[in-house]
Amino acid sequence: MRSLTLHLKVLITVLVLLGVTVTCYQIFILGIPVTEDETDDLWNIDAKVEFVASPKDPVKIQMFVPPLNRDYVSLNESFISNNYGVSVNRTDGNRKVTWSARRASGNQTLYYRLVLTKRYSTEKAKIKGPTFRDSLAVEGPEKIAAEALMAPIRQHSADVETFVSETIKRVNNPNDDNAKLLLAGDNSPMKKAQVIDLLLSIAHVPMEKVHTIRLVADTPQSPELWLRSFNGSAWLYFNPETGEQGLPNDRLLWWTGDENLITVDGGKKATVTFSMNNSEMNAIRLAKLTDENTDADFLEYSLYGLPLQTQQTFMIMVMIPIGVLVILVLRNLIGIQTLGTFTPVLIALAFRETQLGFGIVLFTVITALGLSLRSYLEHLKLQMLPRLSVVLTFVVVLIAAISLFSHKLGLERGLSVALFPMVILTMTIERLSITWEERGGGHAMKVAVGTLFAASLAHLLMTVPEAVYFVFTFPAVLLILVGFMLAMGRYRGYRLTELVRFKAFLKKADA
Amino acid sequence: MFGLIKTWKALEARGIMGINRRNADYVLKYNKRHLYPIVDDKIITKERALAAGIHVPEMYGIIETEKEIEKLDEIIGGRSDFVIKPAQGAGGDGILVVADRFEDRYRTVSGKIISHEEIEHQISSILTGLYSLGGHRDRALIEYRVTPDQIFKSISYEGVPDIRIIVLMGYPVMAMLRLPTRQSGGKANLHQGAIGVGVDLATGVTLRGTWLNRIISKHPDTTNAVDGVQLPNWDGFMKLAASCYELCGLGYIGVDMVLDQDKGPLILELNARPGLNIQIANDCGLTQRTHAVEAHIEALAKDGISEDAETRVRVAQGLFGHVVQQ
Repeated sequence: MRSLTLHLKVLITVLVLLGVTVTCYQIFILGIPVTEDETDDLWNIDAKVEFVASPKDPVKIQMFVPPLNRDYVSLNESFISNNYGVSVNRTDGNRKVTWSARRASGNQTLYYRLVLTKRYSTEKAKIKGPTFRDSLAVEGPEKIAAEALMAPIRQHSADVETFVSETIKRVNNPNDDNAKLLLAGDNSPMKKAQVIDLLLSIAHVPMEKVHTIRLVADTPQSPELWLRSFNGSAWLYFNPETGEQGLPNDRLLWWTGDENLITVDGGKKATVTFSMNNSEMNAIRLAKLTDENTDADFLEYSLYGLPLQTQQTFMIMVMIPIGVLVILVLRNLIGIQTLGTFTPVLIALAFRETQLGFGIVLFTVITALGLSLRSYLEHLKLQMLPRLSVVLTFVVVLIAAISLFSHKLGLERGLSVALFPMVILTMTIERLSITWEERGGGHAMKVAVGTLFAASLAHLLMTVPEAVYFVFTFPAVLLILVGFMLAMGRYRGYRLTELVRFKAFLKKADA
Repeated sequence: MFGLIKTWKALEARGIMGINRRNADYVLKYNKRHLYPIVDDKIITKERALAAGIHVPEMYGIIETEKEIEKLDEIIGGRSDFVIKPAQGAGGDGILVVADRFEDRYRTVSGKIISHEEIEHQISSILTGLYSLGGHRDRALIEYRVTPDQIFKSISYEGVPDIRIIVLMGYPVMAMLRLPTRQSGGKANLHQGAIGVGVDLATGVTLRGTWLNRIISKHPDTTNAVDGVQLPNWDGFMKLAASCYELCGLGYIGVDMVLDQDKGPLILELNARPGLNIQIANDCGLTQRTHAVEAHIEALAKDGISEDAETRVRVAQGLFGHVVQQ
């Protein structure tokens, strides 16, 4: 017996641990949201390319599009263009779309549309970057100014990070004559970046220009320039005008390098306007969409991988163990008497169709009428099977009648009755009437009320949307339930009703 | 909440066994599932008992199919009193006790006159499984009607009082006399309103009783005291109960016996899930007694001995007998 108990304890521990581990893995590693209400931003970015095509030349437009290899994942990407050939290629970590046409004339409009969201998976690919480069060639006064700037920068910095930010600060200092000379009166971010690049190259610090788009809804956008440098393990991002370090979360990396966003052959006056909006989307649906567009198929082997229709059935099915658990607790811990073991769960399932209040009324009415029919049939001395058949038929007719009446009265609720499991009702009536005859009306009432109570409670718990979502998304929770059920299998304590039943002992002990 | 915890602790201290403990520690542990049919089917119980030379009420016949109902007259023969039972009935349901014939009709023990057709319908209901556990098809058993010993006249209302002894691995642990009342309709089942009266295992003298979960000392119908009655042939009952372990192989059973005025102690049926009200009747918890028996068996197992029914009775009487009433 001892070994069995140990065996059981191990089994329970294993099951619970397994359930907890799988659930935690799903929540913390895969990042599956815990509640259904969690939503994520979904960004819809439109880049509108306009230009005037020269009538004689073939047209070739090249534009950078986001490489999407880090924090964002694309759900949908489309290139909208009439009569243009489209190709996309990757170069040096950038992605470039090429639209080409043999003949085009007049104003041309092309669209690039991207739907993206933050990446769920937290695992990051190893990033590589250059840590050394040759100095850019520089001559004359610029060389002297640059060297003059370098000396204090070297002094005030300790590593790549502080070096870069110090450089940016110096270049942005309007009172620094050396900086002024290098900028040559051009205060655009592009020029500043160029000067910073030059300065850093003298110190052999590699630097890249990064063009980003800010994910803000409904405001016109133009690419914003950032600088980044690789410190050996990660990219450090700097704002070339403020020296501010770290890329804000809402920036989307569009392309890197010195090239322009767009190059047009055989056309002129090319402009690109960005517009974007965001919508919120149920997190799990989003996760599913992302899943289809990435390699990490963590939802592939979950219940979400099933067809939608089947999913709905499973949403009900995974809740049945919860209902059974309710019955288990009510019967073995509380000691409430119910009709049969799992009849209350079946009735609870039936309540799904009818709603609780209406279901209880219906159940009571049909059972009461069925009982009176049953007691009438008792006088006819019928055998069990024919008698059950008569009761079943009566129940069907009764349900049909209720449906018809409620429909005529305009109560659509009544129609849901049709799906109320008739066999369950028939068996309930039969067993209840036997209980009535053998144990008396009082006992039958007690059992009937107990059954209804258990069914209602099971129904309420089985239809909590959060719980349904949770169990459906994290089915490993069922293992924890099994662990609890196993533990209940060896529960030896009193039932709550027994405390009342055996009160006689204590009264005497007190007296 | 606090009161409940206090009640819990107090019951635990007195060794009161709850349903969960009974199921987990005794019924599931000692009663092998495949042996259940022996006790669930009264016909098999009877055959086993006869083979072992244990006294049971004489069986007149068995009806297995609807067709065989025709043979009822033949089975009854000229007898004027008999009992019809479902072989696998539970809780005394579906039992028809005919006390007398009245012209072409029958009179039940409660005085109700019924026709032959009604008896046939009752048998038909039994066969379809109306009274059987789980609603399976069943057999009807027609047997000798027990006439209770005169000793019970003063403390019983109609029906047949029976004696229930709980037997653990062949050792009687607790005994109770069950007396039908007006409320129980002549049935000796406690949940139907019968009285349970505790019995001293050593002497066979009755203790106080329980009725509807309350402790009483007088029969509610006859107002005679139920305690202090000496049950005749008590050692015979004890031996009968103890030998039921060999009969069925189940380790934890309730043995139901009657005292027939002509034939003495007879075994009526065995129960693999005996109720817990016997504790109230004896004003004593079962757990301490079962633990004592288990300890005794363990000690014997160490020496490799097993005891026969007679020794077991004496051991049990020594352990649990001579209860002093407060």
